[in-house]
Amino acid sequence: MSVIPTIAEAARLIAAKQLSPVELTRACLERVHKLDEQLHAFVHLTEERALADARAAEAAIMANGPKGPLHGIPIGLKDIVDTKGIPTTCQSKFLQDNIPETDAACAEKLAAAGTVLMGKTTTHEFADGGPSFDLPKPPARNPWNTEHFTAGSSSGTGAGVAAGLILGGIGTDTGGSIRGPAALCGIAGIKPTYGLVSRAGVAPAAFSLDHIGPMAWTAEDCALMLQALAGHDQCDPASASRPIPTYTAQLGSGIKGLRIGVVHHFHETDHQVSDGTQRGITAAIATFRDLGADIREVQLSPLQDWNACGSLISITERAAAYEEWARTRLGDFSERLRSRLMLGAFVSGVDYVQAVRRRRELRAELQAAMKGLDVVLTATQPAEAARIDAVPKWDLFAAPNFTMPFNVAGYPAISICAGFGAGELPVAIQLVGKPFQEPIVFRIADAFEKATPFRDRRPALVGA
Amino acid sequence: MPENNDEAFEFLLARAGLSLTDEQKAELKTVYAGIAEMAQRVRKPRGRMAEPAHVYDFTEGDLA
Repeated sequence: MSVIPTIAEAARLIAAKQLSPVELTRACLERVHKLDEQLHAFVHLTEERALADARAAEAAIMANGPKGPLHGIPIGLKDIVDTKGIPTTCQSKFLQDNIPETDAACAEKLAAAGTVLMGKTTTHEFADGGPSFDLPKPPARNPWNTEHFTAGSSSGTGAGVAAGLILGGIGTDTGGSIRGPAALCGIAGIKPTYGLVSRAGVAPAAFSLDHIGPMAWTAEDCALMLQALAGHDQCDPASASRPIPTYTAQLGSGIKGLRIGVVHHFHETDHQVSDGTQRGITAAIATFRDLGADIREVQLSPLQDWNACGSLISITERAAAYEEWARTRLGDFSERLRSRLMLGAFVSGVDYVQAVRRRRELRAELQAAMKGLDVVLTATQPAEAARIDAVPKWDLFAAPNFTMPFNVAGYPAISICAGFGAGELPVAIQLVGKPFQEPIVFRIADAFEKATPFRDRRPALVGA
Repeated sequence: MPENNDEAFEFLLARAGLSLTDEQKAELKTVYAGIAEMAQRVRKPRGRMAEPAHVYDFTEGDLA
């Protein structure tokens, strides 16, 4: 075990009474105190709660054994997730005094699984538009190089997991906000199938594109977290009512004969990725081939079409959600989110419905393309992390992103580390499964992580 | 989409209920073309019968 255990490693040691949840929590808190002045992964640290949770977990485990693999595991919750009695600010001036009276469904489920709540992690304001330097708290920094961006909007969870401040955490993803930070911070993050994890109690970005999901060091850890998070919730009108499988069930069973479709044109033509990212993708395909997977090519509509559809829906739904404040207190939003909200004025009702009609067509296209395949593969991010002071404000129009297509489709998509590129910054691949087929996504991602050395390396500043 | 002239622009902002500074307006005008291109991209020859993705069915709750 490395200095910073994975959730799976820590769970085994806790179950064997070889690791104390209190010691594990204290080790995470020490890293927080040492590193978070540089990283800004937390907007609100709940140190007393964490130690109380850890002591309670330890007592329960000593008496009756762990209730599951998350019992005693330190986690963070993105600060758009409601937490009873704990500030939930959405990184916004509007909600600086907001203390929810109830937990969001995902917070409640993780607490019920016995996790240790370390605090609320940094987010772009209402999960969109960063990095912003005109908000109450600064943006998170990338642990691999603190001059660089984490991507967003689940930036604090990404930075916190990579630096071992937490072993896992919650992210949300409307167009890539779990997978982007996972990619640039060199960790794993999955946007589950739409409706699999309840959105109840989580601030909306765009209702029909919003997903809640886990971020952790490995795909296996994401599977362990998703087990606790998945399930029907009548408080979320989009919540799926389906049987929940065991997400780790297929891990370790190999990928021989599984079929992986590569969407080459997404990352080679539609939006050409950096050399380092392309090397990571090419090497990953070779690894999958060596492991016995059947590699095929997949053709979809241009990435620009998927992004146009998703962006119009996202812009409009966000403008609707925050219309009242935009009309009365526009100046209180960060400059970047304000700009995104203003775009709502340009999208007509007919534009929106045409986008939603296009969405049905694109989903049908992906469904047909994935017939006979287990997953498709493409990039997660176009390049290694940019400098945090060089992130374009209007990146929405600069080039299409690789994650939005799977918010449009609602299909599960994981980002995993695929090596290191320019500046020794992480690069990533994205694996996309069929709806509710997360077990096979985890199986393939886990096989890749175990066949490659990228999980053995933490950011230098951690000293692990 | 309306033409990108000042009158149309002001109408859209007024309809949205947004009060912008001159600087914000100037910046917003520079990205109008990006939205117009997106709106064009989602329009395909699909005919009047093509359904949107957002449709719904009735649940047990409706029938109770």
